[in-house]
Amino acid sequence: MARSPDNETQPDPSAGQYDIDTARPLPQVGGGLPTFAARNRGTGHGGLMALLVARDAPARPMALRDLIGAKIENLATPLAHQNGPASGSAAYYVICPAPAGRPLSLLTRPWSEPVIIGQVLRPIAQILVELEQRRITHRAIRPNNVFESQSNLPVTLGAAWAAPPGMHQPEIFEPPYSAMCHPAGRGDGHIADDVYALGVLLITLAIGRVPLAALDPVAAIRRKLEMGSFAALTAEEKLPPIISDLVRNMLAEDPEHRPPPTLLLDPFAARGRRVAARPPRRAQRPLQIGSTVVWDARTLAFAIGTQPEAGFQSMRTGDTMQWLRRTLGDATLAVRIEELLRHRATEGRSDDTRADAATVMRAVVLIDPLAPLCWRGTVLWPDAMGAAMAMGLVTEPVLLDHLEELITVEMVPNWAMLRPDRCDFSGLRIESRRHRSLLQTRGPGGGQPRLIYTLNPLLPCLSPLTRDRWVAGLADMAPALEAAIGADPSGTDPLDPHVVAFIAARSDRRLEAEVNGLNGHPDEAEWLIARLRLLAQLQVRYYARPLPRLAGWFAAKAGPLVALWYNRPRRAEVASTINTLAAAGQIAPMLALIEDPAGRSADAHGARTAAQDLMTIEAELASITDGGPHRTAQAARIGQEAAAVIGLAALAAMMTLAAFG
Amino acid sequence: MAKAKTKATSGKQSGGSLMWLQGLACGGLAALVPGIALQVGILLLPAIVALMLDRAAGKPVARAILLCALAASVEPMRALWNSGQGLDLGFSLVADFHAVTLTWSAAAGGWLLTQVIPVAVRMVLDTTADKRASDLREARARLIEEWGLGPPADQ
Repeated sequence: MARSPDNETQPDPSAGQYDIDTARPLPQVGGGLPTFAARNRGTGHGGLMALLVARDAPARPMALRDLIGAKIENLATPLAHQNGPASGSAAYYVICPAPAGRPLSLLTRPWSEPVIIGQVLRPIAQILVELEQRRITHRAIRPNNVFESQSNLPVTLGAAWAAPPGMHQPEIFEPPYSAMCHPAGRGDGHIADDVYALGVLLITLAIGRVPLAALDPVAAIRRKLEMGSFAALTAEEKLPPIISDLVRNMLAEDPEHRPPPTLLLDPFAARGRRVAARPPRRAQRPLQIGSTVVWDARTLAFAIGTQPEAGFQSMRTGDTMQWLRRTLGDATLAVRIEELLRHRATEGRSDDTRADAATVMRAVVLIDPLAPLCWRGTVLWPDAMGAAMAMGLVTEPVLLDHLEELITVEMVPNWAMLRPDRCDFSGLRIESRRHRSLLQTRGPGGGQPRLIYTLNPLLPCLSPLTRDRWVAGLADMAPALEAAIGADPSGTDPLDPHVVAFIAARSDRRLEAEVNGLNGHPDEAEWLIARLRLLAQLQVRYYARPLPRLAGWFAAKAGPLVALWYNRPRRAEVASTINTLAAAGQIAPMLALIEDPAGRSADAHGARTAAQDLMTIEAELASITDGGPHRTAQAARIGQEAAAVIGLAALAAMMTLAAFG
Repeated sequence: MAKAKTKATSGKQSGGSLMWLQGLACGGLAALVPGIALQVGILLLPAIVALMLDRAAGKPVARAILLCALAASVEPMRALWNSGQGLDLGFSLVADFHAVTLTWSAAAGGWLLTQVIPVAVRMVLDTTADKRASDLREARARLIEEWGLGPPADQ
């Protein structure tokens, strides 16, 4: 079910068509998310809701892409996603039709079996069939997101597009292997997870309340693991027979054992389906792992995965293997874990915590192949990597560190290799290498921010410069930077690492050369030109309107760029033109003026010629200064020659006079 | 080395020959036309002295003095030649204070020319060089201002 979100989001053409009235909150229709009334600006059609998207929990890009414009009966399909209330605001919304009725969470009485089957099971199964055909999961089937209709009409399934999959699901409504994950780490999952949530919803409606509501989430997960979900959720309840048979299958621990949605369209056929689910083997005495008392293998995997230090200690001391062999009676599993520990002993230094974490991860998969990826206590499904990293970046640095390490050591393929029949190993390996490559890309256009923005196409730019806006795409970036520079004109570089990584991730390689050009420029002029080049392309390609403040920021810092010209009058002319262009907000002409290869070449040639001329002048001046003795000698020579000529002329004249006089 | 010695020896020999020929000419002149020889000796005395004192190559000062003195001596020589070239007439012409003064003044004028003309020429050359230097400094300042090539060396 998981698909890569990269480069799959296109601008929503319907964005901006909807008015959002933040003064009219709709607390009951958003499934727990902040929701407001909305209407279509063009048609005036109301009855819409706008679900607020959290900055650290991006909306689901593939679901929005595939469902906008789609018509699925009894489902709040998305109509658009946009900024609001006004363009350029700091909030982002997903617009959907507002369900008309009350959420089922407000109902207190049990529903009858025919009503549950006719108004809930069949309609939602039909929705799941249509979603499955589109390779989309819902992951938000819970009482406060399912809405009753008029009598005898099917319920309406609420929206699930404004947050990462399953993020707001109560642990009770999630399979235990999803519930134990970080809320942002549950991933798109499989349609079978929706079937599981539907099964829990059926129990809730049948008994008139949420089962295990009194338990805290961890206790509920442990109970499901120890007893099996069906037994845990229905242990002290009496269910109608058809519902009971259906739910037994729908709550199977293995997703492959749950009935597909198409089968649920015919509940009577579905109840006849039997799965051979083996009940978990319970030990005669427990094993203590950290704060968890373990009675069975699945709980052991959960305890080791969520408390890795205690789990690894228990394995290293041999307690776990002894318990597995003698108490649980699973000698095969004990031997495999012993092999794992022997491998660890030869793998690296004893204080190598990364090797310990890898051993724990492998041990969890060996003990429970259904378990998700566990790394240093962080539990998630690999298809949730993007959402979890976004959450980590904004609010949980430790989570982010764990995920970054997970990618750096390429642990996802290692995990997948241990359970090849349950995941696409080659696909995960390719994806993991791509993630690692992005993470290790040097320079401002790479690294952690680049990976996070690439994995989350709808994550806004999280730069401090764009804090006051929701920058969802490159068209929003230029005006956001313009506003940020306007707020702090003297200030910082408009292209901080987040902005550059965001541009690199969203430009789909169209600005790759400009982004790469930002790498490593000790020279201030080159540094500025690289930035100017990127912003010019941003303006030309994505925002063909003036950016006077941004251009003015560059004009104010253009001294080193102007100094690239040797000719002083040309410098003054360039500086003046830059200021003129900056006032007009045109960055590309500024860049053309500064780069101007022909002009720069002629300028450099002129400078060389001028230098040579200056050397010639200096040499001639020196010769004049030092030429006094030479001139004296020259004057003496000329004077003596002149005196001789005068004497000779006088002699000639006198002889002529004597001859003819 | 042997060739150089040979050349030096031959130069000395030719100089000595010239001196010998000059002495022979003077002696011949004094014997044949003693009046003219006397007059030449008296009138060109400053030039003869200058020729003896001027050690510069080509004897430029002596040359100017000699030419000027010769120019002034032409008329007394012509008068003596036309009067018969006798020794007594020679003495009488030598006693002519006016002719001697004129000739010696011409020799002095020749010497003066060799001293004054170089000074004047030097002044002209200096003026020309100053004008050229001024033009060059202007051009240099213009280049520096236009291209920012750095401060001039003499400022």
